[in-house]
Amino acid sequence: MARVLEGVRVIDISTSPGGAWCSRMLADYGADVVLVEAPGGHPLRRIGPFADDGTSIPASYLLANKRSATLDLDAAEARRRVVALCRRADIVVSSHAPSRLAAWGLEYASLGNPALVMVHVTPHGMTGDLSEVPGNDLTNAARSGWASINGAQEREPLKPSGWQSSMCGGTVAYAGAVAAIRWRDAHPGEGQEVDVAEVEVMAAAFAPAFLRSVYAGSSHARRDSADLMAGPVPVQDGHFALTLSRAHFWRDAMNLLGLPDLAEDPRWGASFYRQAHKDEYVDRVTAAMSTWKKMDLFDELAVRRVVAGPVMTMEELRGVEHLRERGFWRAPRDAPDGPEYPGPALRMMGTPATLDRRPPRPGEHTAEVLGMTTEGA
Amino acid sequence: MTMRNEAAGLTLTGPLVGTRGIVLTQAWAGSYCTALLGMLGADIIQVEVRKRPDSWRGDYAAPITGRIRDVPTAVHPWNVSALYNSVNLNKRCITLDLGTPEGIEVYRRLVPHADFVAENFSPRVMGNFGLDYEALKALKPDIILASLSAYGHEGSWANIPGIGGTIEPTSGQSALLGYEDGPPMNSGQMYPDAVAAFNAFGAIIAALRHRDRTGEGQYIDLSMQEANLAMIGDSALEYVLTGRQRPRLGNRHTTFAPHGIYAAAGTERWVALAAETEAQWAALCAVAGRAWAEDTRFATNADRKANEDALDAEIGAWTASEDRDALAARLSAVGIFAAPVLDALELAEDARLRARGVVRVVAHAEAGEWPQVTIPLHFSRTPATEVRPAPLQGEHTRQVLAEILGMSDAEVDKLERLGVSGMGPPD
Repeated sequence: MARVLEGVRVIDISTSPGGAWCSRMLADYGADVVLVEAPGGHPLRRIGPFADDGTSIPASYLLANKRSATLDLDAAEARRRVVALCRRADIVVSSHAPSRLAAWGLEYASLGNPALVMVHVTPHGMTGDLSEVPGNDLTNAARSGWASINGAQEREPLKPSGWQSSMCGGTVAYAGAVAAIRWRDAHPGEGQEVDVAEVEVMAAAFAPAFLRSVYAGSSHARRDSADLMAGPVPVQDGHFALTLSRAHFWRDAMNLLGLPDLAEDPRWGASFYRQAHKDEYVDRVTAAMSTWKKMDLFDELAVRRVVAGPVMTMEELRGVEHLRERGFWRAPRDAPDGPEYPGPALRMMGTPATLDRRPPRPGEHTAEVLGMTTEGA
Repeated sequence: MTMRNEAAGLTLTGPLVGTRGIVLTQAWAGSYCTALLGMLGADIIQVEVRKRPDSWRGDYAAPITGRIRDVPTAVHPWNVSALYNSVNLNKRCITLDLGTPEGIEVYRRLVPHADFVAENFSPRVMGNFGLDYEALKALKPDIILASLSAYGHEGSWANIPGIGGTIEPTSGQSALLGYEDGPPMNSGQMYPDAVAAFNAFGAIIAALRHRDRTGEGQYIDLSMQEANLAMIGDSALEYVLTGRQRPRLGNRHTTFAPHGIYAAAGTERWVALAAETEAQWAALCAVAGRAWAEDTRFATNADRKANEDALDAEIGAWTASEDRDALAARLSAVGIFAAPVLDALELAEDARLRARGVVRVVAHAEAGEWPQVTIPLHFSRTPATEVRPAPLQGEHTRQVLAEILGMSDAEVDKLERLGVSGMGPPD
């Protein structure tokens, strides 16, 4: 099977989830990724939840498909080896602040490889007065605007769950890395740095709420509790989102829910009118929904081609036949009897993502990786 | 890399200069994916159907509200929609009614001039237009087609419709988003669309590299459900490995405490702060000047995690009288994770985002000059610096059809008379 990044050598010196996801994507599309881990192991390995055997589950997900070499960047000899690895590499992924790279002598200019693509995935970017300031998904949520609109107005702002800014930052950094490699294909020897700030990626994802607020002259607020148009509401066996955007969604959903007067009144066909007159129907619609089971309501609305969203748990998603038909869950090729991992974000039919390697043990490939540097040095 | 198109008065910058997408994207996910490609220098020609305009342009009859109402040039609601204008930078827009043979014919003539096509219709639509991957491939053998849909183009749910607000629940995202003691929630603005856009953006660039090296185009099938499930893949793997559903954590972390958003002095003033290492915790205790360091409930991270409610109450009592920005700055200066919670209008004025060129004032012919979020990538050798406002509906029809197909004004006039092209609500 063809691979987009066949033969591309990546050295990952990052220590953040965003850097890890960037290099995981590079690996999924065929690059040979060597993860450089400090002697205590990648920081993700200490983050829970943990499987029964004590391994970090986030580390398993984010570090899979890579090889691992234990090399202490704080030790001169190991650092020399890392520099040698970077000189032979096509891409280096870093999550470190400028001063940290400078202290190690691992800035782009010091690596002495003008064909190298060096991708920085950091909270705030490599320039500016926040470049040395620590950040994480919580602070990215705060500084990007997302926390200000997530959650309920009567409570504290809410960050997106998990590592969304890291994952989006890593995804955009992957895109930037591939764009830079493609550039170099056409312009041999022309490497470059790609600087992706997670907070900026999340600000970009916030662009619609941003401009809506700018045009309106007032900031978009968090939602009132139990707002039908804003998110899931209770049904008999869980929660269900009915975000009715087009006129026929509204009409068909109201008929199904036994509210024909709401279905047939043409005023309700326009979404701006519905938004402005929420109080006139929200209680009735919510009450009608509450007697349904979520998957029954989903099935009936699907037949009517109305967008609808039952809140699904991981157990329920594991049971969805559709995802199995599409081959979404798959075990690593080198551990076919091991656990199944959730699949790639999308399917490239000509050059599919593959999961070839289970997550490495710390330093599992140190010897073979260093053999490679000796040979190349 | 910079390329100047004199006839169109357009400057393209960035690593994708020299590529072109003739795209049928709409709303958020598809439109934003192709805007990102445009911001990296691709020439993006967005095709819109007047009879079924981009839903993010809003209803043709929608009222113009807010500050935009006072802008004298803001006359057409569909050209001054914040949603549309936010996710369609760096594009040209042409109108073609793909429900007519004439419209389809013009589109088919354009396809050989494209490197990629992207669309986010319901899965049946492209086939109905006679524009599925095989049909496009017949017109341009190495074409790349990216389809962004709710559940993908194959599988038993393929024809179930969905949007960001329904994919959030069906991807597992909503079950994880919410307060520790509250129900599942959706994000404040259909986050799954952004996820789909970022992923398709990367995939199209990857497909371009593969095409350049092998001469082979390909089809990209993005299911928004899968893209969003992949973004919480660690929670999915947690279920696979342990049988446990991760609970909603609010602002908390699986492993570290404190990790939260706390009220500062004033109304709607919030500060985010977190400590992961013992050094950060010690620094936090020092800045707060409280006796937390001696409190046995908070001695180790495990203790703090076990007594997180009490810890959050202590921190909240302290921050309530602190100035948000001053506190965030003091904490950041000593290496603690800390940030003010900025709202949209504060973000619009954020000096850091402006200094890095991410937030810029963009001049739009109808909406006027307003700050917008622009390019979230910085390339050292191939800087992507050029930002153009979202196009008016049909703004570039004449220009593009002349430039690419050599069509005369008379030919475009005819398309307009037939209602195939033009601007604004169809007659």
